[in-house]
Amino acid sequence: MTPGHPERFSRGGLCRALLGAVLLAVFSGSASAYTVTLDADAPMTIYLQVGVGAFTADYCGGTSYPPTNQTPNCGPAYGGGTPEINSTVNTVSASLTLAEVGNGTKQAMTTNSTATNSFLDGYVFCTVPGQLYIGGFYRTAGATTAAAQVTATVPAALTDPHGDTLPFSKISWTSSGNGDAGAEPFPAGTFVNGGVQTVGTMASNSWNESCWTFSYLNNTVPASGFYTGTVTYTMTTP
Amino acid sequence: MSTVYSRLAFFLPLGLTIIWASAAQAKSITIDDSASQAIAPSVSMHWKSAAPSRAGGGNLMVGTTTIRVRMNVMPWLRHSGRIYLSLPTQPPGPITLSWITQGRFLPGQLQSGSRVLVYAGPITTPFMEDTLTFQFTVDGSLIRRAVPVTYHFEMDED
Repeated sequence: MTPGHPERFSRGGLCRALLGAVLLAVFSGSASAYTVTLDADAPMTIYLQVGVGAFTADYCGGTSYPPTNQTPNCGPAYGGGTPEINSTVNTVSASLTLAEVGNGTKQAMTTNSTATNSFLDGYVFCTVPGQLYIGGFYRTAGATTAAAQVTATVPAALTDPHGDTLPFSKISWTSSGNGDAGAEPFPAGTFVNGGVQTVGTMASNSWNESCWTFSYLNNTVPASGFYTGTVTYTMTTP
Repeated sequence: MSTVYSRLAFFLPLGLTIIWASAAQAKSITIDDSASQAIAPSVSMHWKSAAPSRAGGGNLMVGTTTIRVRMNVMPWLRHSGRIYLSLPTQPPGPITLSWITQGRFLPGQLQSGSRVLVYAGPITTPFMEDTLTFQFTVDGSLIRRAVPVTYHFEMDED
């Protein structure tokens, strides 16, 4: 200590003491938190079924309704099924007698589809052969998005082997489902004569399904023949 | 007089430091687990249910990762303490975390914004280690992009 300057030494000691305290605090603060990153893997999943589809089993398990396992505890981990690809092309048809052709009475059409139960939980939703099942889902992570669109690509006309034609607009459908009330995700409509038309929407993260009942307008007399045409349904996500 | 003030100034901060440290140890102190290693630090989240329900909902996403936890518990050696796993409230929103262990720590489950006891007893080694398999569960609507989630272990000294 230098006589006459006691306060300088004391200030130096104070600084060292404070420095020590700061270093102690820094050392104590070295404890860390651990960080992991959550990232959605394959966040989007879509499934569209028109007519018959394919699941390994009902998604919520079981073969009868109500299912043994209720949502959200569905899926493979609970004995439920997973979606598969089914390349079957179902038909909807009507056969008219000569007396019926063009008489102005709508003719009910029937399908060769056997799909009656929802693959979600086995619920008997449609009745065959009078109804065609259409359904599916659109899974997406993140905030709710605009609905996925389901469109039909329709030829200009049905044709027979002789080149005769029948406008697709002669075919229309109503929409319902066992136990349903309110608006259908795939509402009633009439085919356009060639083009792409929207036939329904799927809100994100919900199972959507309807049953279509087709009819032939039967208000003209076309040439006798076997008329066919193929409509392709496409699901498009936003 | 100036010398007296200086000495008071010297001892006062030091005394406060000791009191602060003592008070902090009576509360929860975050444990240094910087030596922990994640086998896969990025957690791939997938749908708990691939298909949604008719009414919507059931939109949970789950993801699993395994972490070799190594805690530096040297400051509490030869003391008894309680170690908690704490998951603070944080983005993207409510998180459920469950985990299984190899036996050194307790398995458990918690919601973000809370903590759960994973060890209680004497601290007999400078480091405590275990392999924990974590499962994170989050509403899929909240995962708009990759999101960091932070947890930590904290000590309550007996």
